[in-house]
Amino acid sequence: MKKPAPVKVAKALAVIAVTGLAATPLALLTARSLAQSWYWPSLAPPAWSARAWRYVFSPAAEVLPSLATSLSVALAVTLLAVIVALPASRVLAWQEFRGKRAALFALLLPVLTPPLAATMGAHSLFLRYELTDTWAGVALSHLIGAVPYATLMLTGSFSRLDPDYEAQARTLGARAFDVWRHVTFPAIAPGLAVAALFAFLISWSQYLTTLLIGGGRIVTLPLTLVAFQRGGDEAIAAALSLVFLAPTVVAAFSVARFLKESQ
Amino acid sequence: MVKTIKKNNPIGRLLFSTLGALLLSQMLALMLTLMLSGCAKKGTPARQALTAEQFNRARWEEIVAQAAGGEVNFAMWSGDEARNRYYQSAVATTVKQRYGVTLRFLPTSDVADIVNKLLNEKGAGKNTGGTIDLVWINGENFGAAKQGGVLWGPFAEALPNIKHFAEDARQRDFGTPVEGYEAPYQRAQFVIAYDTARVPDPPRSIEKLREWIKSHRGRFTYLAPPDFTGSAFIRHILLFYLKQNSGGAAFDGRFDEQLYQRAAAATIAYLNEIKPYLWRNGETYPASPKEADRLFANNEIDFTMSYGPSFASERIARGEYPATARTFVFEEGTIGNYSYLAIPFNASNAAGALVVINHLLSPAHTLEQGRELGSLFPLSLESLTPADRAAAEALPLGPATLSGAELARRQLPEPDAQYLERLEKDWREKVLRQ
Repeated sequence: MKKPAPVKVAKALAVIAVTGLAATPLALLTARSLAQSWYWPSLAPPAWSARAWRYVFSPAAEVLPSLATSLSVALAVTLLAVIVALPASRVLAWQEFRGKRAALFALLLPVLTPPLAATMGAHSLFLRYELTDTWAGVALSHLIGAVPYATLMLTGSFSRLDPDYEAQARTLGARAFDVWRHVTFPAIAPGLAVAALFAFLISWSQYLTTLLIGGGRIVTLPLTLVAFQRGGDEAIAAALSLVFLAPTVVAAFSVARFLKESQ
Repeated sequence: MVKTIKKNNPIGRLLFSTLGALLLSQMLALMLTLMLSGCAKKGTPARQALTAEQFNRARWEEIVAQAAGGEVNFAMWSGDEARNRYYQSAVATTVKQRYGVTLRFLPTSDVADIVNKLLNEKGAGKNTGGTIDLVWINGENFGAAKQGGVLWGPFAEALPNIKHFAEDARQRDFGTPVEGYEAPYQRAQFVIAYDTARVPDPPRSIEKLREWIKSHRGRFTYLAPPDFTGSAFIRHILLFYLKQNSGGAAFDGRFDEQLYQRAAAATIAYLNEIKPYLWRNGETYPASPKEADRLFANNEIDFTMSYGPSFASERIARGEYPATARTFVFEEGTIGNYSYLAIPFNASNAAGALVVINHLLSPAHTLEQGRELGSLFPLSLESLTPADRAAAEALPLGPATLSGAELARRQLPEPDAQYLERLEKDWREKVLRQ
């Protein structure tokens, strides 16, 4: 069935509007990172300069090592968060048990408490168990924020899936792994992708947690970025923001593509 | 067994899932422990911790010998490109060649975060093996750190190069007695930037400024206290009236309630008088130095202020301010202060930190930094050899930077911290909410 022309036009306009909303800040950041100075009322920067980008890729900025650290931590956090969230969300979605509300509340606590208080508390605890100043400690501390989100996302997916599908597959003789592979996984895959994206983004954007738990030994990109944002060098802050954004955009796009394919 | 439980028993399923989760978390913990022990083995062997008492009894050569081969982690504010480049290349190389010390930098955007980290570590009893050996600090952060007992020392007065600094720098940091827990490092003085193309003859005194603001509606503003710079601006007006009201006797900076009452009343009156003539009729104030910078560069206001005497020159070099920007100080003088270097109580390498600090206080380094970054020369000229003194006097200045001698001539000391606290409170109640 062919769609009427007005619907097509409206759809195209909506796509343009949404793309514009997403692309405009990126375009502005790119322009700012390349502008020598850019002030009202000039519509375009009067002079261009590659100063900010030269600095970002110079060894002095230490951007590439911190990018690598950020990536390794965020990927590990994503993997671990999903591993923890899968069984937890399955139980939360499919089982009724005494204390379920309390369990949900406890799960949400790290997200509900003010970040500064939660981070300070975590720091004291991590100090006691000698988990500070290490890569693993930093990854573990990011999990505190990532696990609740991943679990909640997946709980949604599991509650939309009828547990009887699994039972049916087993009745037909499927082994546990086959049930997972052919029934459960395909059904929750979109939710799993979104949960993984959330976990990645939460780890990616941690600042204070990384500073305290990592003790400055584990230097991630936000640590480098925030100093320039506060320091007022807008060109370098813009260039660093773009470096910071790039992996998140890639991650978000691949999840979006996956969601579209799995529809 | 597991299979039968799993089939159709909800409690069994719960058990199964819980067991699974437990098993996974155990595996996770095991993995982490393995990784952690791996990391711990790889770390540098712990050096014998140097105490402040040992340092004060030791000869300097012994400290230098002990520092060789170590690593010093410097929590240095890292929001400036030129500074990062200079420290990570030239300074790190010099320190390595001369003392065999490897200098590493911890990107730092707010020293308050570092102080909180140290306070937490103190609370948890982590008294050795800290990740920070050296921190750039001053003012309220130093006050909080010293009060919390998270600084190593006293050490400053036993450094060979401390002799180059004037007494006032070594004694009080914003009213907190230094007592050797930090060493003076860089000098700062309040300056006001303007654009000669817009304002050829800026108002160079507190009185002239009032008249200028009233005849140029909307062209002046200041940062809202408690912003560091905004608070300093209103403090200059208070200082002006403190001097006027001290009845001929020289104002010594100490807190005096009656004197404060009189001077604060006049200060509040001054600020309320100019308020309707400020940018946006004084209904709002810029919230950050960055915003004030932008307003100035956008030609929306005619003045900005900073504690960095070379800030306007740096912005000209970056193309942010017009090349015709200049700075001035009030005829009555402007407040100057110092920033400092301190060592955390649990520093892993205090000896290395001491050697680095002493290097950063040296005439050789301060002269080089003046040439590289245009920083205000912090040492007292009387303490220098004739050659160093000549070099200091010949330091190049940025186009908008006043000479060290001119700044020194017009430098006022910070008044007692109580004045600052009281005035900020009064400003909030009697100017902002008026």
